[in-house]
Amino acid sequence: MSTLNVANISDGADTVETGYVVNGSAKAWVNFNGTGTVAIRDSLNVSSLTDGGAGTYSYTVSNSFANTNFSCQGTSHAVGAAWMLSPQTLADSTSTARFYVVNSAVGASDASQCDGTIQGDLA
Amino acid sequence: MTHLWDRLAEAKSRLAPVQSKYRVLFENPSDMEAPASVLVPDPNWMAAALAGNVLPPIDTYLRDQNVPDGQPKEHPYAEPVGPMTEEEAIEYLVKKDISPQVWRDYNGNRTIMKIVPVELIPTERNFRNAWKIKQIEEEITA
Repeated sequence: MSTLNVANISDGADTVETGYVVNGSAKAWVNFNGTGTVAIRDSLNVSSLTDGGAGTYSYTVSNSFANTNFSCQGTSHAVGAAWMLSPQTLADSTSTARFYVVNSAVGASDASQCDGTIQGDLA
Repeated sequence: MTHLWDRLAEAKSRLAPVQSKYRVLFENPSDMEAPASVLVPDPNWMAAALAGNVLPPIDTYLRDQNVPDGQPKEHPYAEPVGPMTEEEAIEYLVKKDISPQVWRDYNGNRTIMKIVPVELIPTERNFRNAWKIKQIEEEITA
């Protein structure tokens, strides 16, 4: 594998420091089906997804983060409904993020399309 | 040694994902009222495990569980292991992603973990929060 060692990246008009790109990129992401046979559609740096109950999921990364202060985001939707997904980091884990999916009646609910990303410093 | 994240990204670009034919059912021994959880292996991770030379030894993850927050971890820089069978990969994943209190420390009579074919997991989820692992009485032979 080759390595480009550069301080800035430019397209000729705009220039950005390499650090912005490296630090701002998602270090893990996942897209999964949370209904029926729960399964991951695609991902990067994810080892498994855990279905913990109705509307409750967590996923674990392969390459852990340097500390527990990473940031996770997520979205979800099902046919005919846009549901809120509440991502959560765990205070004692550098490798797991949890999702709660809540429907319009504020009840835990499964969603067919769930997506999550994590940004942070890798171990 | 190439960093684990770089190996994972390279493997994803090279290997076709593999949906596992297994799921791992487990219950939390410290919260027996909680529904059973179902661990779903990631298809890109499974492809890397089957191909080999991507994932670090499982021992490095177990040692890293004792590393204080913010201190250097061993697993991203460890020499990768060779190819695994799907069954070996599931065993690796159990140790990596399920708490040791489930697969190592539990001494109770109730079965709290099972590796099952994906077909045995119900697709009907109306009563998902009532799921428990089916207990099968041990056959007593003379």
